[in-house]
Amino acid sequence: MDTLALPVASDAVAARGFIEVRQARKVYTSGDKPVEALSDVSFDVAKGEFIAILGPSGCGKSTLLMMCGGLERATGGTIEIAGRPMTGPRPSIGIMFQDPTLLPWKTVLQNVMFPAHILGKPDAQYRDRARQLVDMVGLQGFENKRPHELSGGMRQRVAICRALLNDPDILLMDEPFSALDAITRDEMNEALLDIWRHYGKTALFVTHSIREAVLLADRVLVMTRRPATVVADIGVPFGRPRDISVSETPEFAKLCADLRGMIEHGGGKRARRPGDGPVLQPGRHGGQT
Amino acid sequence: MSERTLSFVLPLASAAVIALAWQLTVQFGDIREIILPAPSAIAEKLLRTMPSLLDQAVVTGREALAAFALAVAAGFVGAATISSSKILREIFYPAIVTLQLIPKVALAPLFVIFLGIDHEARVTFAALLSFFPVLISTAVGLNNTDLSALRLCRSFGASPWRTFWSVRVPFALPHFFSGVRISSTMAVTGIVIAEFISAKEGLGFAILAAGARSQTAAAFAAIAVLCILGLALYGAVAGLERLAIRWYRG
Repeated sequence: MDTLALPVASDAVAARGFIEVRQARKVYTSGDKPVEALSDVSFDVAKGEFIAILGPSGCGKSTLLMMCGGLERATGGTIEIAGRPMTGPRPSIGIMFQDPTLLPWKTVLQNVMFPAHILGKPDAQYRDRARQLVDMVGLQGFENKRPHELSGGMRQRVAICRALLNDPDILLMDEPFSALDAITRDEMNEALLDIWRHYGKTALFVTHSIREAVLLADRVLVMTRRPATVVADIGVPFGRPRDISVSETPEFAKLCADLRGMIEHGGGKRARRPGDGPVLQPGRHGGQT
Repeated sequence: MSERTLSFVLPLASAAVIALAWQLTVQFGDIREIILPAPSAIAEKLLRTMPSLLDQAVVTGREALAAFALAVAAGFVGAATISSSKILREIFYPAIVTLQLIPKVALAPLFVIFLGIDHEARVTFAALLSFFPVLISTAVGLNNTDLSALRLCRSFGASPWRTFWSVRVPFALPHFFSGVRISSTMAVTGIVIAEFISAKEGLGFAILAAGARSQTAAAFAAIAVLCILGLALYGAVAGLERLAIRWYRG
């Protein structure tokens, strides 16, 4: 199912790849020696797709995400979003970090409206939208609470609302739920599935949880260290709307086990085996459940 | 007794004990009033000369407030400057620290030459003496802004100016106030030193004049008023700080 109504003008872009990453590299200099954080990463994302970037910590997946958000410059290669090369942050891209990064002196509603506030836009224009978002994530009644009065899960809900305030086309999420306990994490995954169904954003979701990647995404990009690059691009064959019960099916367990194998064996070029499930092309969701 | 009552009662009790010991020592130790007047003698002098002491306190208080305001403004602007870029920091910071190493009192006579013997010289001197704590602690606060909050601002494409006022300053507030509190006491000290050197009025002048005439009780009375003045300023700052922290923490 496709909840998106693509604007006519962006059809060409959507067909070609809404996000296009070509031979992206990132080299840091640590001391005197250059350290390659990311080498030769290429992939496409169609408009409306949910992509999980899965890999062990330290494999450069967050760096890749920050490059897509315009917060890090690529050392080599290109990243194009909506047909334009990334040169810096854009209002059409919402970012969620591992830490919810709420401002302690602001209320829930003020934190959600912070993107408008910091750009000097009139509050009144955004208040209704902020309230809608807060209601949608189930925080009604908490609008005037401060961050320290909220649980970890609630804080990340506020951060989701804040990332959605500008109605971005793309949502980038950098292990947003990794600091939460398992139960809260499941709740947040369900909430995110709901939000994604509602808003149909293109999403890049960085995680080191295989289960989370498979549960949420249409495609999983597997990254490994040495070389720090994408070694596999696996379609997730579960339909939408999806909920957490899908994670109890044998197919789900099988896919998780396959992915675990790829991460442990450094990926490499792996021949497709029967039972891998269909690899979905960008732009097509679903498949059989 | 609750903690709140204790925090009132204990300081008053310790002051009373000291005053009593002082009174008894002077009375039974047969100490001459010119060396050390008894608290009762000082209190009597204080009450008798209250109107003129209050006039002096107004003069000193006004100048101390002006110096304090100047110090806070200069400290804040200086902190914003040196924390805004590495280059500006390298340019100004060593000079500011060097300035801090010079005993400021040694500069006081120069201020008379530069700025004359009026308010300007005293206020400038006291401001110079007291701006450093605000500068240092505010700079520490501004540099310690939560890095992820700064990255968040960058992800929205926020300007450095708006990021400064909306995020860095609020994060630096607790540090700022700890500097301001120290500066408030130093501003009063600075004005008194300046009054020793060039003044025809004010509490510092009153103390100096009383000393010259060996009117020890009068000097102590002026010092007592000075204490109350300093406490009032410090208390006002602490109150403001509490309001700011309450806003910050919610």
